[in-house]
Amino acid sequence: MKKLIALALALIMVMSLGACTVTNTDSTTATDGKTPVSTDGTGDTTAAAAPVEISLWTYPIGKWGDQATVNELLASFSEAYPNIKVNVEYLTYQDGDDKVNTAIEGNAAPDLIMEGPERLVANWGAKGKMVDLSDLWTDETKADIEANNAAVAAACKWTDGAYYEYPLCMTTHCMAINKTVFEKAGAMQYINAETHTWTTENFLKAVQAVYDAGYENVGAVFCGGQGGDQGTRAIVNNLYSGHFTNEDFSGYTINTPENIQALETLVKQDGINFDPAIVGGDEITLFRNGTLQMAFCWNIGEQLKSENAEAGRTNNGDEIMFMAFPSDDNVPELCGGIWGFGVFNNGDDAKIEAAKTFIKYMCDENPTAAVKASNFFPVKASVKDVYAGETSETVMNEYSKLSGFLGAYYQVIPGWATARTEWWNMLQKVGAGEDIAAAVAAFDTNANAATAG
Amino acid sequence: MTNQKVTYNKKTRKLMIHETVTSYLFLLPFLLFFVGFVIYPMFMCLFTSFFDATMGREDIFIGFQNYVTLFNDPIFWKALWNTLIIVVVSVPLTCIFSLWVASVISKMHVAATSAFRCIFYLPVVTGSVAVTMVWKWMFNNYYGIFNYIGTNTGLLEKNINWLGDERFALACIILILLTTSVGQPIVLYVSALDNVDKSLVEAAEVDGATQMQAFWKIKWPQMMPTTLYILVITTINSFQCFALIQLLTSGGPNNSTMTIMYYIYYNAFKLYKYGYGNAMGVILAIIIAVLSAVQFKLGQEK
Repeated sequence: MKKLIALALALIMVMSLGACTVTNTDSTTATDGKTPVSTDGTGDTTAAAAPVEISLWTYPIGKWGDQATVNELLASFSEAYPNIKVNVEYLTYQDGDDKVNTAIEGNAAPDLIMEGPERLVANWGAKGKMVDLSDLWTDETKADIEANNAAVAAACKWTDGAYYEYPLCMTTHCMAINKTVFEKAGAMQYINAETHTWTTENFLKAVQAVYDAGYENVGAVFCGGQGGDQGTRAIVNNLYSGHFTNEDFSGYTINTPENIQALETLVKQDGINFDPAIVGGDEITLFRNGTLQMAFCWNIGEQLKSENAEAGRTNNGDEIMFMAFPSDDNVPELCGGIWGFGVFNNGDDAKIEAAKTFIKYMCDENPTAAVKASNFFPVKASVKDVYAGETSETVMNEYSKLSGFLGAYYQVIPGWATARTEWWNMLQKVGAGEDIAAAVAAFDTNANAATAG
Repeated sequence: MTNQKVTYNKKTRKLMIHETVTSYLFLLPFLLFFVGFVIYPMFMCLFTSFFDATMGREDIFIGFQNYVTLFNDPIFWKALWNTLIIVVVSVPLTCIFSLWVASVISKMHVAATSAFRCIFYLPVVTGSVAVTMVWKWMFNNYYGIFNYIGTNTGLLEKNINWLGDERFALACIILILLTTSVGQPIVLYVSALDNVDKSLVEAAEVDGATQMQAFWKIKWPQMMPTTLYILVITTINSFQCFALIQLLTSGGPNNSTMTIMYYIYYNAFKLYKYGYGNAMGVILAIIIAVLSAVQFKLGQEK
């Protein structure tokens, strides 16, 4: 009898495995409908079509990483397009890339993804995984976006002429200072508070003043990894008007006298430490808790955060002032962030069309709510007053002054993943006292070798 | 001795077949998982290592080129060296420390033994991310407790960037690894010490053996299988040290904490060099297999 029960149990276990397989097959069949969905822009036509279920994976771009906010956006979309169901998965920057790449390799990529050109265009687009969204880029759209910033369209387009991103919002990355401490140290005299700019000479004087006032750790060139590395690239490139890449984004140009001089200046400057134990996120924490008096990794999202203190304040209530990076010619070139949507080519026309419908709704038909959720600025000139009446309106208006300093969007250069690693490795060498010219030359060799693919 | 022919009647044979089938059916689910998630990936790892494999295009067969590149890659050698340092330092230290703690706590009252076992086992059951974050805070350059104590007691002249200084970073990693590795060996050693035949120890003591002699001549040989097991698992764990590096240093500063496991991850999942990463995986597997075989051989001889 015991044997019989054991045999039955074993059979159940084996059969349950089979049952799992059957269940999966069924669900695949159910979502594999090929019924095309109209994308003529009207909700009515789509509503008449067969239901389509698509997946959206989103990185934490402002409140696009917040379930409650995204649910509101989805509810409004569902009202307009009831036949398209969107399932959302929230990614983090720590493991998001791994998840997406694993999904791609397993032929289980999401239908829709929200991120920036360095991933959508230069990575997955360049590898042939994305759908060309050129049909969304009408002449009217192009003109609207270019009226705001000419660099956006170029960033969303790969060298094969295809647009792999349809952008929603943008911002400039900047740095921040503890204004209260700077005032105490008499360092505000070196800052143009109206334009949020400073020259290299004044930046160095300001850092020295804060250091002399007893603040041993004024700023940190963080280099423990790639997190927030746009900040360290920006400080190095801006100090003496160097550049990270050439104009056509075909090669890295760090090995120049301007960049080497910038690194030498930072190494020598009192109060600035090269710290291989922290990344951008750690630096922000140290800045907020008063350990550091400036942060090289900052943007409007950070300025508006109010988890630990009132927005625009450190944890102990000091005032935070966002700043452009210092430059010798007083014309900073800031790194930008352009976020939008890309569609993975999963071979299902109905899902692709549904994904495009979603993009058009969020970016063209109802952009204000979608942009507001990002906490950034619209890419289209026609989308105005997004934050009108909001508590953040004043800050947003003030921050928009930095938009004029948006530099080239070089993150779409080939070999970007390698170059990012080479960058923080180079900073670690420089911080450890190795010969700067040699470290820069090594970066140049390795990063440029990676552009060949 | 007489040769006895064993004969089975029909009923017994039927029962044996039933038992065999039942056993295999019980094994089948695990076998399927084992083949699907261990054997097949191992085979694919070896297979892919002969290809220039990346995302977005067909793999290109390149023979042993990945291995040639690997052996000419200075970071691979640095990673191998660091990994060996971790293994050579942490494995003996883990074994010695665990044995020492186990021999001390096994003499205590049962309740105390259990309490200490729990305390030392806590880091094992606590999530590695949580443990690592606490250590990161303790090693913090600006407000870490080690710097605080060091500077306030005069041991340190100024703060040390423990994880950001090439001279200290690897040592810090090894220290953390030790704290998370000793839990299981301590539990195993306590159990092994409990299983030592007490009558042999008492007989030796009656014959005038010292405590040290009783330990080395009687207890130690009986604990050899446990020691061998601990050596093997600690060696494998040390070779596969990844989470600590990923969360604390990303292999830096200046590759001073780069390990083979992290370098595999970096190449495969950051640079999408799947073939190259797999080639490294094969080399790592061979090294671990050889070392484990040596450990088994030595253990069996003893």
